[in-house]
Amino acid sequence: MIRVAAVGDVHLDEDVVGRFRPALERLPDHADALLLAGDLTRHGTAAEARCVAKEFGGLGVPVVAVLGNHDYHCDEVPAVVQVLEGAGITVLEGTGVVVDTVAGPLGVAGAKGFGGGFAGRCASAFGEPEMKAFVHTTQGIADRLAEALAGLAASIRVALTHYAPVPDTLVGEPPEIFPFLGSYLLGQAIDAAPPALAIHGHAHAGTERGTTPGGVRVRNVAHPVIKQAYSVYHLHGGSGTDDGTRSGHERTGHRT
Amino acid sequence: MSEPVSQPVDEYLEAEVQRLLTEHADVAEQGITIVRRNQTLVLCGEVESDHRRDDILRLVTARFPGVPVHCDIGLTRTHPPMDAEELT
Repeated sequence: MIRVAAVGDVHLDEDVVGRFRPALERLPDHADALLLAGDLTRHGTAAEARCVAKEFGGLGVPVVAVLGNHDYHCDEVPAVVQVLEGAGITVLEGTGVVVDTVAGPLGVAGAKGFGGGFAGRCASAFGEPEMKAFVHTTQGIADRLAEALAGLAASIRVALTHYAPVPDTLVGEPPEIFPFLGSYLLGQAIDAAPPALAIHGHAHAGTERGTTPGGVRVRNVAHPVIKQAYSVYHLHGGSGTDDGTRSGHERTGHRT
Repeated sequence: MSEPVSQPVDEYLEAEVQRLLTEHADVAEQGITIVRRNQTLVLCGEVESDHRRDDILRLVTARFPGVPVHCDIGLTRTHPPMDAEELT
């Protein structure tokens, strides 16, 4: 069993530094790894990323993150990633990693994701180039997420996104904005694997628990949803495809 | 000093405030819900610091000085979890 802690949408800046730290100091007592589901900063500056590094670095367990839309706002993504990775936080975007936890290897595939909506109420790649670009952006991200999940050589795997893969965890948000909060394409990529758990954030007024059409448990860990420093999930086994090719090398934080 | 221009508390105002809170560089909050109640704007939601709640109220009242605003924004708690969820 691997204990996975997760939180998203912490929106750090100078004024928030230190708020999470008392709970984080005790995190290794509760969890074997921490996943950060995007919107780690307010505007996506390197200075704000340093606040994230200070708050979530050096916890004594592996920390794996994806970025969110806020983290893209100031067009400083490479600098943000550099700061976070410098603090030992692995940042995924259409990629995966198998981290070595004290409870065994944990495979995490992550991507920010994007919008588009859900079955019956979703955007199509038709008409104006802007609309085609919108849908193609999500499709490309979903394709890379599916590849990253398929490439994880670990029996317990988790999908990590910022945008939602299902509408279940958006309940509480106005239905009119669901297309800006997630896409069924992400859910389809997750169901193709399928991992033991899918984590996302982004929807502050949403709901914690949901399920993909294929039966993968989905958890919205946006901070205003979980209303605590982080939530913890005990994963007892992989529902996905363990191809049995794990090696010692791959268990030491190898990216796929 | 001129009197503040009276502005109807309607859906155009609601949309303006929603965009202001998201697009203003000092605020950048997408998680605030705006409710129109008896010609008053009620701001609801949670933020990560008292400072941010104060900034939001200051920004809205400064931009729309004639509009009554009630702030019902809370601070998101950061205590450690009391339990874990078993996913078997």
